[in-house]
Amino acid sequence: MESFSFKYPATKNISQRAHIGVVGSGDLEILISPSEIDQTEFVIRTASDGFKQTWKAVFDRFTALNDFKAVITINDFGATPGVVSLRLAQVIEIANQN
Amino acid sequence: MQNSFVELKGRERALALLDKGSFTELLGPFDGMESPHLAPQGIVPESDDGMIIAKGTIGGQSAVILSIEGAFQGGGIGEVCGTKISASLELALKDNKNGKKVIPVIIFDTGGVRLQEANYGLLIISEIQSAIVALREYVPVIGLIPGNVGSFGGMSITAALCSELIMTNVARFGLNGPEVIEQEAGVQEFNSRDRRLIWDTIGGNARFETGLVDQLVKDDIDEFKKAILKAVDKKKAVPRTQQIGRFLSLVNQLDPSKRNSKQDIIKLLETQIKETPAIADAKTPSRGRTWFKQFTQNADSVSDFPSVLVADISFFDQPTRFIAVVPNASNRFPRAAHGEVGLQEGWVLAKYIRQAIEEDAGKEIKRNIVAVIDVPSQAYGYNEELAGIHYACAASADAYASARLAGHSVTGIIVGNAISGAFLAHGLQSSRLIALNDKAINVQAMSKQSAARITKRSIAELEEATRKVPAMAYDIHNYYSLGALDLLIDGVNADDPTPENVKEVSLKLIEAVNAGDRTLSRRLQTEPAVSKGRVSSIKVREKLAKQWN
Repeated sequence: MESFSFKYPATKNISQRAHIGVVGSGDLEILISPSEIDQTEFVIRTASDGFKQTWKAVFDRFTALNDFKAVITINDFGATPGVVSLRLAQVIEIANQN
Repeated sequence: MQNSFVELKGRERALALLDKGSFTELLGPFDGMESPHLAPQGIVPESDDGMIIAKGTIGGQSAVILSIEGAFQGGGIGEVCGTKISASLELALKDNKNGKKVIPVIIFDTGGVRLQEANYGLLIISEIQSAIVALREYVPVIGLIPGNVGSFGGMSITAALCSELIMTNVARFGLNGPEVIEQEAGVQEFNSRDRRLIWDTIGGNARFETGLVDQLVKDDIDEFKKAILKAVDKKKAVPRTQQIGRFLSLVNQLDPSKRNSKQDIIKLLETQIKETPAIADAKTPSRGRTWFKQFTQNADSVSDFPSVLVADISFFDQPTRFIAVVPNASNRFPRAAHGEVGLQEGWVLAKYIRQAIEEDAGKEIKRNIVAVIDVPSQAYGYNEELAGIHYACAASADAYASARLAGHSVTGIIVGNAISGAFLAHGLQSSRLIALNDKAINVQAMSKQSAARITKRSIAELEEATRKVPAMAYDIHNYYSLGALDLLIDGVNADDPTPENVKEVSLKLIEAVNAGDRTLSRRLQTEPAVSKGRVSSIKVREKLAKQWN
């Protein structure tokens, strides 16, 4: 297991906290909570060691398209970057529902 | 598949069953109650520890759904997720006692004990079982086994205690998983790659045909809802785990020397016999036998079955029934010849515990019940799975829990090994547990070989993990640190006790017997429990009680 975090500057609020996914084979769970600080913070624990750069690439892309002041907690059990991006899109959608 | 229930995740299953808009989750992902025991072993935890507690209504009826997430760690029961179940059931019991009807629905999708938190799993599963036995008197406890993981291990003993079990034909329901039986008993006993064999033994169809589950439903959300409502409306029936005569008759007629089929089981259940087969008694020595003899001063066992010793004596002037499971090299069931709790032993334990309850009903002084614990495991075998060994273990756990509820003092003394389903059946329903402080004693959920195979680790890796997580360890000291024991008794020769040893242990034992409570709550109150062993359990219980209403 590896743990790390990344921070990106952010300006917009999300409507509510949200949760998606399961820490099951090839999947992950994501928790998103609103933050007072002007940043998107990703906090990751992953079962697959040695992929920090891949995570960074996924978040670089995500934050280039999304601007949210939030803490995003990820518990990963071997999800591929495609699954990670899909889950991020899903959780953002729920977090911005009214 | 359209409207499939099986394909849903744990949380979605709860959502699907509850009336629209009624779903309220307790101790959800944002409540920060994950397992503290996984990260130290390099395993990523889940925010809800794989257990969803959802309150709401089903067809307008108040219900609490306890849905196990099978995709997380195989639905294995650890400290946090297990306590989420036991604490919910206890709160539901309180509501129902106070006239507020709440139907508990447990969705079983579980391999049993989470081997990474092994002894926590065993302990807390016994607490869940205790709650079900109490709750079942007030309201039907409904169990669903939809499938994916199915239900195995200690949680199958738990499922066997439910008032009503609803299953699909894509689910499996057994005590020992096929891989574990193969590991413990050999490929001739059970070939874990033979899918046909597996489904004919523990599959939903087989279980329904042999009458070990109540309803077989199609994999469809509405079918599950209908089945639950049907269960709620059913008249209260005698639970299977209390149909001792019927199942003992089956076990007594079963020929262990052949590979029986489900048709054999169905046929044998149709013919009820009262006689007990003649069983040779090899009087195989064991610690359990030694200590049973010492405590009862060589009293004759009243049991018709040589592998279960039962004697009523006056222990410090109090009527006391001592019970031990002992090896019998001549056991009719070869897989239970070494002191294991097998089909026979489980139902026989139940018989003699219930006998004490019935004989003492209405009496002011109920005899004490003492379990002398030295059990190497449950029996691993094909015939055992086929004939529902999880029901045999559940019958015994049910009887011990019922004895407590009826007012008997139930105490366990660990003199030898206390392993897995056998410990759940014989020992873990004691309100007080004490143990000899002896290096040879093992307390665990599974042998090292099997645990390594199932968790895909080497024995060396497993042993490394036990150094970080006491619940993974096999020795009695680490077990004591969880808070489950009242006392460790030092300086006793466990194999060949001196008269002084016996006297000292007897004094400690009567102290535990007289401690007076009739619940399992002591385990959360001992010094080791409060300071370290059960800190998470206590936190889960406090938080849940606040959120419950």
